[in-house]
Amino acid sequence: MREVYRQYWRINLLTTLEYRTNFLLWFSFTLVYHGTAIAALWVMLNNFPSMNGWDFRNMAFLYALWMTAHALDATFFSTIGEIPQWIRDGEFDRLLVRPLDELFQVISTPGAIFPDELLLALAFLVVAIAANHIAVTAGFVGLVALVVAGGALIDLSIALLISTVAFWFVQVDALRWIVLQLEQEFTRYPLSIYTKGVRLLLAFVIPFGFMNYFPASYFLHKADNGLGLPISVGLFTPAVGIAFFLIAYACWRFGLQRYQGVGH
Amino acid sequence: MREAIEPYVQFALKAMAREATYRFEVFTSIGSLAVRVYLLRVVWVALYARNAAPHGVPLHTIITYSAVALLMGLILDIDQTSLLHDKLHDGSIVVDFMKPISVPLYLFADGTGEVLFHAALIVPSLALALLIVHIDVPSAAVFGAFAVSFLLGYFVGFFLNFILNCVAFWTLEISAVQLIMTWVTDLLGGQIVPLLFFPAGLQQAIFALPFAAMFSTPLLIYIGEIPPERYAEVMGLQVFWIVALGLIATAIWRAGARRVVVQGG
Repeated sequence: MREVYRQYWRINLLTTLEYRTNFLLWFSFTLVYHGTAIAALWVMLNNFPSMNGWDFRNMAFLYALWMTAHALDATFFSTIGEIPQWIRDGEFDRLLVRPLDELFQVISTPGAIFPDELLLALAFLVVAIAANHIAVTAGFVGLVALVVAGGALIDLSIALLISTVAFWFVQVDALRWIVLQLEQEFTRYPLSIYTKGVRLLLAFVIPFGFMNYFPASYFLHKADNGLGLPISVGLFTPAVGIAFFLIAYACWRFGLQRYQGVGH
Repeated sequence: MREAIEPYVQFALKAMAREATYRFEVFTSIGSLAVRVYLLRVVWVALYARNAAPHGVPLHTIITYSAVALLMGLILDIDQTSLLHDKLHDGSIVVDFMKPISVPLYLFADGTGEVLFHAALIVPSLALALLIVHIDVPSAAVFGAFAVSFLLGYFVGFFLNFILNCVAFWTLEISAVQLIMTWVTDLLGGQIVPLLFFPAGLQQAIFALPFAAMFSTPLLIYIGEIPPERYAEVMGLQVFWIVALGLIATAIWRAGARRVVVQGG
């Protein structure tokens, strides 16, 4: 398995090198995507001192935490989001007859993956930490690493759950699209601005709040976190990530065992 | 005359019918609009809650601005000429050149059909949006000026997209560039945050770009930030952009079309 995975990254890097123009195009795409999002926040906060007590620097840190966790997931596990398409095309059935774990085969299907977004995210995270004058101790670095890993697990688990739904309902694009929008646009702002139902949804049902808002509230010593929970709840991100992944993986195994193909 | 126009009317009708088959897209674009309207409401309410109104723009005005901007996006964010890119990609453009039609007009008719179908989505989207926010309605005269300016903005957008898709004559692949263009348009056009909120120096530069002529000008007319005395000036600028971009589009199209003939498809 280790050899397969090594080869997988070799192919990814070789593909990226082969299609340089394409890589540059998609890299500028990543740059502009995050650039416009951050610029919009900057323009907004340029006219208002803060949003529910969060100024632009705080919001940049909020964005950086989400971006890093998301990029970590996207770099290593992006193919999980393609499962519904493979099921529809019948491609997925090929994986079932091979002597390796199906999920491992999914995450080792090569494309032109390069860790450019992750590097960009880490750079932005460093800038955001410096801008917020957070004391960088070994403990802090360790906690951030755990939070980012936990956030990536949350991101990955949600993608896996949606892909699992595709075993039963072949067409899951609408579901995926709505969840993606909730994730990308709702994680940009402090969770406390939302109405109660949305706050609960983002905290406990689709726990995007644990990817950035709760940990950021903890690291920035905010007075409250919108739900009256103790501020240290932000450190639960890795636990939430693991728990969520176990649930998602159990659902995935359950779906896989009942999967009969879509009739190709 | 009628006979000359007839094929293009049919192209437009065909494009409308084609768009109507993508039920999933219809569902998500209305659903996503509702989610965005909710988001704009909570975001601006939170910003105004503890701070003074900047530039004398009160909360209800900014909510109106943002909601109307989202509804306009249903039309302006469509790439009406993506058909050109698709046809260049699979080479089927060659067949169109052989037909006794004007290909740019065909693309325009197809884009118009697509846009008209999406324009119909404004009705359910607006109904849904009104459940979430209150939208101010200006006087009939101001609304009329807004409608004219919106139409001019639509043509600015059409030529920008047309030029972008013509690039595919040379590169064949422009998906990444298209997405970049949408975000840049939304930000620099003032769809996400009014251009009035940008720092003064930056504002002047952004107002000088064609993106402002798409979203910002009609929107500022709608909320009354641009008074009637300035209508001639701002719409004149929109017309300038239509002419300038139209000329560039024509030149690029000619160069590109010649290239396809040389390649032989």
